Amino acid sequence: MNDTFSAKRFALLFKKTLLERPTQMFGFTGLILAVILILYFICKSQIGFGAAQNISFIWGLAGGGCFLASFVFSYFSSNANGSSYLTLPASHFEKWLCGILIAGILYPVIFLLFFRGIDSLFVAIFHNSLDPENALYKEQYNSVYIFSFTGRIALKVFPIFLLLTGISLIGSLYFNKAAFIKTAIAFCVVCFSLFALNWVIAKILFGNLDGAFPFHAVDILVGKEVGSVELPKKIFQAYGFAADYVVPVLFWVLTYVRLREKEF
Amino acid sequence: MVSIENLSFGYKKSKPLYKNLSLSLETGSIYGLLGKNGAGKSTLLKNLIGLLYPSAGKISVNGFIPKKRLPSFLKTIYFIPEEVFVPSLTIRRYINLYAPFYPKFDEKSCYDYLKVLDVATEDKLTTLSFGQQKKFIISFGLACNTEVLLLDEPTNGLDIPSKTQFRKLISSVFTEERMIFISTHQIRDLDNLIDKIVIVDKGELLLSASVNEVAEKLSFKTIKEMPEDSSAIFYSEDSLKGISVVMKNTDYEDSKVNLEHLFNAVTENPTMAKAIFNTKN
Repeated sequence: MNDTFSAKRFALLFKKTLLERPTQMFGFTGLILAVILILYFICKSQIGFGAAQNISFIWGLAGGGCFLASFVFSYFSSNANGSSYLTLPASHFEKWLCGILIAGILYPVIFLLFFRGIDSLFVAIFHNSLDPENALYKEQYNSVYIFSFTGRIALKVFPIFLLLTGISLIGSLYFNKAAFIKTAIAFCVVCFSLFALNWVIAKILFGNLDGAFPFHAVDILVGKEVGSVELPKKIFQAYGFAADYVVPVLFWVLTYVRLREKEF
Repeated sequence: MVSIENLSFGYKKSKPLYKNLSLSLETGSIYGLLGKNGAGKSTLLKNLIGLLYPSAGKISVNGFIPKKRLPSFLKTIYFIPEEVFVPSLTIRRYINLYAPFYPKFDEKSCYDYLKVLDVATEDKLTTLSFGQQKKFIISFGLACNTEVLLLDEPTNGLDIPSKTQFRKLISSVFTEERMIFISTHQIRDLDNLIDKIVIVDKGELLLSASVNEVAEKLSFKTIKEMPEDSSAIFYSEDSLKGISVVMKNTDYEDSKVNLEHLFNAVTENPTMAKAIFNTKN
């Protein structure tokens, strides 16, 4: 018997995971999508199309993804539920993969399809509302376009989604109760500590400090001017790659390690 | 077969619950794990299923190391915790989703057990009372036909008729290929059910013996007056009919083992109990 992966066992586990908690799985996904629809609509009406697309894409993918991810392993809020989950005859790898599939593949695919759907609809409504006879028709028409999933914003949001979802997944295995809130607090504490530590070290090294951003740049006061000390380009690129891809992957892998080591 | 060698475990490093506990459990027996509240009964069961990991020592269950929680191990063992979990599913749906993980699951038996325990509903399991939910999980666990069945305080939350039915069910599903390990502090619920007794207290194994062995070595009876030389008396308790005593069975008398008196005797005189039953911790 394969104790690491069996396609049949994985299919059973995946089916069980989805059908045993429909409210959490489908309900929360539906709720997130509904909130994003409302957010898109409000932002479009109040700020404009560009902002509506950017804000709802960022919150929908990164925010919604990490919110949903915190429920994927939320079996440990009760003794009975946690015991039942950990003693179910499926491997750690299958249980982890099931969580990854839901949080890392299924949700983003559903969200991207939904987002493309509402975005196309709103953009089409806008285009249809324009008067072709108007002298500014072409300019107005071209000012609003469908959000690109390969554009600058989207390419920035994908790594953030990976990072936040990974943190959320691992947080749900560390904190048995109110995992989402506790993970968010822990994340804020770590970020704050990192900024504070970075600032203190920069202050010691450069007395005339104006500002410091971890792993990025130190701004120093030179007379009345502010100069920026940046990392060498290659190191900065390497840092960017690590921050965008290596760190998120590390969190996802750590989730597997934590699940394997989980005692309850 | 379950083998525990020099098990040490503690929720805090500074406060070990078990230290160098060794115990062997044979297939083909129903064990009663007795202990006071907080004695570590649930902890021991959780170590056996792999929910908790020993800080030192070895545990082997039918050749598997529980802490690895391999599917090939988990499909051979079923753990019914004191508080059971049921999702918001009907009985049929639950069986449909969970049973395929247990290759020896017998659906017909499951429904038979449910009938015996008087659980019949088309509603979702979450709408049932705690006792009904527990009876459902017991029925499901028994129908899984695993080689090892661990039950933690199974009679908690069951009404009196259900406790009787539970005992009958356990007896009926027991086979020589199975090992059933029941932990409880409600000792009377295990009367006439178990054939081997394990008593733990303060992280120590005080007794591991068969009911027959206990009956051979100890005598349970009621006397009118305490004898002048009471050195053979292990435990005494006033009762309506006189004084109930547990004493060394020097005359090879036949007597029915009173689990409650045995438990009190062993926990009050652990050194004597260990000496009589040659218990090694």
